[in-house]
Amino acid sequence: MATIAPPASRDELVRRPNVPSADNRLPGVRDYEQVDHDVIATLGFSWGWLISLGAAVFCLAIGALAWTYQIHEGLGAAGYQPPTMWGVYIVTFVFWVGIGHAGTLISAILYLFRAGFRTTIYRAAEAMTVFAVMTAGLFPILHLGRPWKFFWLIPYPNWRLIWPNPKSPLVWDVFAILTYLTVSATFFYVGLVPDIAVLRDKETNPVRKRIFAALALGWRNSDREWRHFTRAYLFLAAFATPLVLSVHSVVSFDFAMALTPGWHATIFPPYFVAGAIFSGIGMVFTILIPLRKLFKLEHIITINDLDAAAKLCLFTSMVVGLAYLTEFQVAWMSGNKVEQEYFWNRVFGQWAWAAWIMLICNMVMPLSLFSQKLRRNTTWLFIFSIFVNIGMWFERFVIVIPSLSHEFEPWQWGGYHPTWVDYAILLGSFGWFFMWFLLFIRQLPVMAISEVKEIIRPKMRHRHDTTHDLNALTIDPTLTAGDD
Amino acid sequence: MQGVLGAFAEIDSTVHAIEDLKKQNFSDITVFTPTPRHEFEDVLDAPTSGVRRFTLAGGLLGLSFGYWIPIWISDYWPLVVGGKPVASWIPYTIIGFELMVLFGSLSTVFGMFALSRIPRLTMTVGYDPRFSHGDYGIWVVAGPDRATEAADVLRKHGALEVRNER
Repeated sequence: MATIAPPASRDELVRRPNVPSADNRLPGVRDYEQVDHDVIATLGFSWGWLISLGAAVFCLAIGALAWTYQIHEGLGAAGYQPPTMWGVYIVTFVFWVGIGHAGTLISAILYLFRAGFRTTIYRAAEAMTVFAVMTAGLFPILHLGRPWKFFWLIPYPNWRLIWPNPKSPLVWDVFAILTYLTVSATFFYVGLVPDIAVLRDKETNPVRKRIFAALALGWRNSDREWRHFTRAYLFLAAFATPLVLSVHSVVSFDFAMALTPGWHATIFPPYFVAGAIFSGIGMVFTILIPLRKLFKLEHIITINDLDAAAKLCLFTSMVVGLAYLTEFQVAWMSGNKVEQEYFWNRVFGQWAWAAWIMLICNMVMPLSLFSQKLRRNTTWLFIFSIFVNIGMWFERFVIVIPSLSHEFEPWQWGGYHPTWVDYAILLGSFGWFFMWFLLFIRQLPVMAISEVKEIIRPKMRHRHDTTHDLNALTIDPTLTAGDD
Repeated sequence: MQGVLGAFAEIDSTVHAIEDLKKQNFSDITVFTPTPRHEFEDVLDAPTSGVRRFTLAGGLLGLSFGYWIPIWISDYWPLVVGGKPVASWIPYTIIGFELMVLFGSLSTVFGMFALSRIPRLTMTVGYDPRFSHGDYGIWVVAGPDRATEAADVLRKHGALEVRNER
């Protein structure tokens, strides 16, 4: 919420900008009606959308066929061979959980930090979170020999009187991922309710109007509703913030709790969290930049917002880079021969190709973002984001595979060769993710209408103190220049 | 319920109309706004939302449940390893924390729904679709004896439309 017009009885105006308006200006948007019009226009049909959806469903079908084959043939179809019994599925599980983290960071953590640039991009990022966690949740099940027994990990009363071991990180994972999926989906839906009410009131098709009316829950934009909504939203953000840190920490415990070389390190939780946020912002760029171009939303998702997100990406890449180097330093200083040999093998041995892809994509390429010109070049940001996605997938590959294929004794040394089933299911996961995302952008607003309106100056009948007038603030011309 | 509904295009007119209505002792006022704004919070002087109580209760319930489940499981199926305690509270803090967040979040949303009185099956009186787009609305509960007085205040401050509803 923001204050421009004071009650007439007050002599002094106290300007209290909050999240949507803080440090954010949209000179290209005139009024509330334009926000409605421009955002609702994104729901229109386009052939590009349909072709993209068709491609996503095709990829998903390939993945589904591969999984069917794997269920029929057994897990041997998936390239597992002793000692490497975790492969592409666990790598991809960690990758997708990580992708989800940027959405919560942008929607919840930046909300608490009053970062105004989140306002125009958080809805797409939040949707990305929900769909990425839905995708990630499939992989532990795909990784099971008998996937239909996955619910054995949940502690429910059963006639066998058998319970999972609550000291196992795999059980913590179940709690963490299910909580994360539930809370992020709830946070996403709660934020959508006022915007669905806008769609309900604008819709002319009676069937869609009824669906929107049901989803809007009878929202009327009354002061009572907003009062409880804003408070609930704040608490949800406050819960989501430590949750996002805990979830990837718990995922890192899957590795760090084991005595395997390369895994058993206390640095893992912060290292994983930073990597997750870095990869997630990469995916935000991958999604948002074409979306912004396709729907002509350059005046709402401004270059300043992308610039700010790029700075965040640069910062997290440096944290990740520091973690990579610290791992080597710890191995070197430990005097532990197994650990040292493992890290040597990682960069100069068997897995050097994967490690160098990781290091170049995640440590070297992000340095380009020190250049303001490149941060404000959407073509470069898009290309860069693809490399981030590749680099972060390989980071997880480098964590999982080299450790398992090079443990303490020579008989525990081996290789790993993913099969076509692994690649098909990896492709299918992208199909699954993009299918949900494309369905979302066609049905629901890809930007938070009510929050974007908070940035716009409301209509005024009388002139008020212009020192508090948002339109009267000077906008630095360099901040709006340099797009594309 | 009977009252008067006024629609405004400008935020300052809406704020001034509310002030005038309050001066004339109209106490049951509802404001409709496409986006939350501090001006209305200030002029309505509404109490702080009670959602926090739901959050606290849900969080504490989730935390207790999150510790209780693994402790109960461990005691039910005791596997003593190296003479260490069967129930170990440190790893169970993870489950406790996750369930605190889960229950706390869900009860926050439940609290918001309950206090905002949603889901609502009908829009009831005193709502106009324009309030979700760009206009502001004031709904004043007023009997037939005071309806004209309320409508006059709304018109004086530049309401685009004033209508009686019941």
